[in-house]
Amino acid sequence: MAGFEDWAIGPESAWWLPFYGWVGTALALPWASGWIKRSGPRPAAYLNILLTFAALAHGLWLLRQVWGRDPQILNYLWFRVADLDLTLSLEVSSLTLGTVVWFSGLSLLAQIYALGYLDKDWGLGRFAALMGFFEGGMTGIALSDSLFFSYALLEMLTLSTYLLVGFWYAQPLVVTAARDAFLTKRVGDLLLLMGVVAVSNFSGSLTFSGLRDWAATTSLDPTWAALMGLALIAGPLGKCAQFPLHLWLDEAMEAPNPASILRNSAVVAAGAFVLIKLQPVLSLSPVTDGVLVVIGTITAIGGSLVALAQIDLKRTFSYSTSAYLGLVFAAVGMGQPDLALELLLLHGLAKALLFMGVGSLIYTTATQDLTELGGLGGRMPATLAAFAVGSLGMVALLPLGCFWILIRLALVYSALQPALMGVLLLVNGLTALNLARVFGLVFLGSPQPKTRRAPEVGWLMALPMVILTVQTLLTPWLLWRWGFYPAWIPELQQMAALLAASGLLGAGVGAWLYWGGRRRLRLPWPELQDLLAQDFYTGQLYQALLVQPVSALSRGLEWLDRNGVDGLVNGVSLAFWFSGEALKYTLSGRMQLYVLLIVIGVVVVTAWLLRSPHLGLAY
Amino acid sequence: MLSLLVGIPLLGSILVGLIPERAGKGLHRTVALGFGLALLGLSLGLLLLFDPQEGGVQLAERVAWIPQLGLVYELGVDGISLPLVVMTGLLVLIALWASGQVERPRLYYSLVLLLAAAIAGAFLAQNLLLFFLFYEVELIPLYLLIAIWGGPRRTYAATKFLVYTAVSGILLLIGFFGLSWLSDAHSFSYTVLQAHPLPLPQQLLLLVPILLGLAIKIPLVPFHTWLPDAHVEASTPISVLLAGLLLKLGTYGLVRFGLQLLPAAWEQAGPWLASWAVANVLYGSLNALVQQDMKKLVAYSSIAHMGYILLATAAATPLSLVGSVFQMVSHGLISSLLFLLVGAVYANTGTRDLKLLRGLLNPERGLPLLGSLMVLGVMASGGTPGLVGFIAEFTLFRGSFPVFPLQTLLCMVGTGLTAAYFLLMVNRVFFGRLSEVAIAMQRHATGERLPAVVLASLVVVLGLQPAWATHWVESTAAHLAKPVALNLAEAGRPTTAFEPGFSSLR
Repeated sequence: MAGFEDWAIGPESAWWLPFYGWVGTALALPWASGWIKRSGPRPAAYLNILLTFAALAHGLWLLRQVWGRDPQILNYLWFRVADLDLTLSLEVSSLTLGTVVWFSGLSLLAQIYALGYLDKDWGLGRFAALMGFFEGGMTGIALSDSLFFSYALLEMLTLSTYLLVGFWYAQPLVVTAARDAFLTKRVGDLLLLMGVVAVSNFSGSLTFSGLRDWAATTSLDPTWAALMGLALIAGPLGKCAQFPLHLWLDEAMEAPNPASILRNSAVVAAGAFVLIKLQPVLSLSPVTDGVLVVIGTITAIGGSLVALAQIDLKRTFSYSTSAYLGLVFAAVGMGQPDLALELLLLHGLAKALLFMGVGSLIYTTATQDLTELGGLGGRMPATLAAFAVGSLGMVALLPLGCFWILIRLALVYSALQPALMGVLLLVNGLTALNLARVFGLVFLGSPQPKTRRAPEVGWLMALPMVILTVQTLLTPWLLWRWGFYPAWIPELQQMAALLAASGLLGAGVGAWLYWGGRRRLRLPWPELQDLLAQDFYTGQLYQALLVQPVSALSRGLEWLDRNGVDGLVNGVSLAFWFSGEALKYTLSGRMQLYVLLIVIGVVVVTAWLLRSPHLGLAY
Repeated sequence: MLSLLVGIPLLGSILVGLIPERAGKGLHRTVALGFGLALLGLSLGLLLLFDPQEGGVQLAERVAWIPQLGLVYELGVDGISLPLVVMTGLLVLIALWASGQVERPRLYYSLVLLLAAAIAGAFLAQNLLLFFLFYEVELIPLYLLIAIWGGPRRTYAATKFLVYTAVSGILLLIGFFGLSWLSDAHSFSYTVLQAHPLPLPQQLLLLVPILLGLAIKIPLVPFHTWLPDAHVEASTPISVLLAGLLLKLGTYGLVRFGLQLLPAAWEQAGPWLASWAVANVLYGSLNALVQQDMKKLVAYSSIAHMGYILLATAAATPLSLVGSVFQMVSHGLISSLLFLLVGAVYANTGTRDLKLLRGLLNPERGLPLLGSLMVLGVMASGGTPGLVGFIAEFTLFRGSFPVFPLQTLLCMVGTGLTAAYFLLMVNRVFFGRLSEVAIAMQRHATGERLPAVVLASLVVVLGLQPAWATHWVESTAAHLAKPVALNLAEAGRPTTAFEPGFSSLR
């Protein structure tokens, strides 16, 4: 009989964690494929929720075991051929397990939420399968200590994003959105793969720990280091919707809202997570670091501005996601991976909460257009609370959520690069302004036709929302409990005051502009409104700079292929056999042609052989 | 043992040919399937007999046939040919299964089995003349299979195929004779020729006709135009054989005759070949991007994928050679799957036109199973991890990068384009609202379903367990690779060891 000790689940069992999601996918397939119809699709969703809960419990159990211990690496030799060694390795540490818990917790809440949100959708089974796939991939990325494995998982996320965005695939807009999401991310992934191939050749190692050691000692040619670094950041760049690969996230808002909850909090985080783990390699080249900071800054400011002009509830927040991920990029570029990670996690919680609120609004009012919403304050108390708390968790105004990380980032930047501190203040202010704007337009003012009779959502959606609201409210206490509470030195207090002031200013301007009696829907200047609403015309830029040239080249080559190459090769070498399709042999006639060819061949061969006497006995 | 692999389908071909046409429905099919199954069983049995640790030729058989001509019946198998032989067994059975009810079954099944015998023979031959014989024999049945059971423009396509491939055969023959004639061994046997390498100028001289002959067969741009025509006109099972096996004869030849028999010339030509590979990949991919016929699109994608194999063979590191054989297997499985699915779409809707098809993923009125498999197939082709295409291409690129960094990166652009054109195809055909053609279609069960599921499973299994495919190749690849491989990982001095590769950029 095995004693209790043998049954205890140790850190080695971290292997199981990604498989909960994937097993869920497999179990949901009979419903997803329409094989089982009698029961309706819900059992698939229940199974997946159960498995996600198991993953969460398992993750928490392991987290308790490894808390405060050194990271442990688990290796599994997956594929070795010639000099290529693809060992899948997992890092089991409080950091990675904490992230796993964070991912699976959010996934669990989103799936419960989806039960309510997709109540009457026949595709719920497929949705459950895809969420399982997603969750497995994200958990894997959190644990992975292998760049190769992480790349593979990122690519799986790209695929599942494609399928999730294309969830309602009968709608034309959804189809384009899914296509664009896939192709944009694919551009990033392709460059990342080039980087992976290169780095694997240079370093001979593909584990993050191995790469860290290699980066510390290597004397790689700076040009190659820069090129490699740029290729490596391209993947996360696409995944995190950073300039210039950011447009897909906006379009991806065509997906069902529960998927958007995860996408804006966890999936973008998965991309940034890889970036954070790669930081030692990226720092080989100052060029890469500089590019990270520049891209991050452009996206942070640009995204915050564009968000201001969106009248679509989901899109305005998706741009804000890009903006915050921009701050993460800049932090990685400044060599602050730990702070970047914290920002990522705290932002994810607040953003998930905001998107849950958005989902309830869409569910009850059947619109996501800000111009059609208003006066919901008294009708949807849970949503109002979620929205307000989520907004406060996003910005540095009250000591909730992102406040704690933004002030520390500001403190670090004030010593390293004060300009970036300005960026933080600006983004914080603009985000506060936008959140106040949306809050005013949705909850205040007079009711609109679509909001007059809106009720609060049912408990399946309200429960996850309330849980996350409470969790966000408790952040300061949780941080203190886990020992992440920063030392409250005077410099930090100054930063806190500065950021809170910027938040207050933004919120104040927003309240002044949008909380009054009259509904102001647009920015004061129409040109600016258009420029921002169209995302600085990025879509048109893609068309002009990438899509049209490639398409023109393709069409040109195709023309050449049809009229040039085919004709030339046919014409020059084989003219006498072909006169287009004018060959009017019967079948037997063609047989004769062939036999003739063979006979000629044999004769030629024999003649040739007879001419070289020594070949006779040669073999 | 190896003779059985040629003999069984040959016997089957004769037997099926002897059964009278009116002898019961499906009898020809049943007998042919039996022989196909036997062939697959035998080729799988080969896996048990083969020793993967051994790099050389195994299970050799040798009988002098026409010694005056130097034609010796010599068969043997090594790590390069073994996976291809097994794939022959698999794809022939799948093609037979997918054939369903054809007109004139006696001739049809007889020809398919004859084709199988010739392909197996070509992969197993250890003698240049014997290879040539099988290479030529394979033409006749394939020509007839396209010309009789093909689409509306079958005559044109079949004749074009015949003429191109006959020219390719003649070029090969010239090369083969030169090889034997110029070497002091005066033999056509691979092993003897390998032991007596020619001086570089003569090797280069011989490489030209052999390479041109293979380039037509593979096909490489600009000798590729017969392939889209042949694919479009050929029936589905024949397309499977054409893409899965026939093209592999060409890429197999690259390794066998280029790398193995003309090593010095091969190394000299390496950078040119790698650049040719890039041109091939980009040309094929960009052309695929604008095709409106699904089958033509897959055909151009095949052309592009052949470029990767050329690149890896040109690089000739142990890893890239494993990658190139792996890619042959991977492409064989994936392109066969795609052709089966396109064929099923055509059988159900009566069109392959991207402008007419929409929304076929619809669960009630569309083709959801085929659509899901199609998504899997195109994702595999576009290099999504977890499927065989990804790991094959990763191995290949990782192996080629140290020798040809720039060319490898440019070829990788091709994988991005692959994802793009296939995604556009899936997006148009399977997503969106049902189009008129799709609403009007008469759904009927076709023979493609089961084989498609089998291939899709293999695509997943080998994607998760790539060692099951590469295990056989490794020793042979190490054996064949360039004597001084630029192995960075083990060189220990990454930056300096990289210099030879880097210099090829300039």
